[in-house]
Amino acid sequence: MGDVHELPRPRIATGHLAQHIGQPVCFVGRVEKIHPTGKLFVLSDGEGKHTTVELSEPLDEEISGVIEVVGRVTNRATIMCMSYVQFREDKSPFDLELYNDALKIIHEFPEYFPFG
Amino acid sequence: GGYTQSPGGFGSPAGTQAEKKQRIRSQNIVPCTVSQLLAAEQVDETFRIRDVEISQVTIMGIIRHAEKAPTNILYKVDDMTAAPMDVRQWVDTDEAGGENVVVPPGTYVKVAGHLRSFQNKKSLVAFKIMPLENMNEFTTHILEIVNAHMVLRKNLMSASRVPQSFSSAGIADVGGYGGGGSLPVNGLTAHQSQVLNLIKNCPVPEGMSLQELKLQLHNMSMSTIKQAVEFLSSEGHIYSTVDDDHYKSTDAE
Repeated sequence: MGDVHELPRPRIATGHLAQHIGQPVCFVGRVEKIHPTGKLFVLSDGEGKHTTVELSEPLDEEISGVIEVVGRVTNRATIMCMSYVQFREDKSPFDLELYNDALKIIHEFPEYFPFG
Repeated sequence: GGYTQSPGGFGSPAGTQAEKKQRIRSQNIVPCTVSQLLAAEQVDETFRIRDVEISQVTIMGIIRHAEKAPTNILYKVDDMTAAPMDVRQWVDTDEAGGENVVVPPGTYVKVAGHLRSFQNKKSLVAFKIMPLENMNEFTTHILEIVNAHMVLRKNLMSASRVPQSFSSAGIADVGGYGGGGSLPVNGLTAHQSQVLNLIKNCPVPEGMSLQELKLQLHNMSMSTIKQAVEFLSSEGHIYSTVDDDHYKSTDAE
């Protein structure tokens, strides 16, 4: 499978999952809920649409707020998480809707924002 | 070898030759993705991303790895567009602490630096690495990348169709891209650029002759070549050597 961190990981929203089945992606969203087992959590994107993120090992910490996930899209259109990072919001809240608008732009102009 | 970084942030070598080069080189600091930097083509000492000349760039990404050595810190910065990029920050050994604290992996940073290529591997020599305090800056950076490359490319395309009677220093001010905001286009038409590049790359001591230029530039008439040579000479890009038929570049090594 290889380390996805060495590959291009297109930034996507929930609506793009279907087009990236099997591919490495980067997804930014707000934590909506965490499964009691800690092996699954749900993020909402800038349009409020939900994406399920799965983990091979249960979470060993509480996560909240805006999370950036790197992983591969499964054939169930969930994301198998390889790593994640919490966006800092200690000084300013993160505008997820604006980020979603930026995603639309980079998807519209891949020649000016290439992945790979 | 290393590069000594002046406080002004320009890592290019000192001296009049470098100053002449900078007149033609991009004065911008261009926001880029790692993927764009990796794809940049190198011609002599300049890099081009889809024909847009770049030198100083900014990237934003997360630090995946940090390694401190006596004279430099080597980071690997990841913006998801490709594999993480090597970013080297030279340590000011005179300064105690402060500037040279290692930024920990997992931190999102903004890097400003110069693109370098060594043995076909690209890297950045950073003159500034700043942790992001507001992640909305990251969103802005994404938009700035698209805007910058789109605008620079548009200006490049339109400038090459319009003959300019002045050299560098801006056909239009793009504004907001650091430095003086001037454009990477050197104010030359496509014909003039082609003639200049041939003359620049000519290794012969007496320079390139008009006849040689005509042989190499099949698409250009002798009168077009002569016009280009006259213009380049009057602008100071080239000078005649043994006679009025032979020219060398003022920027030659």
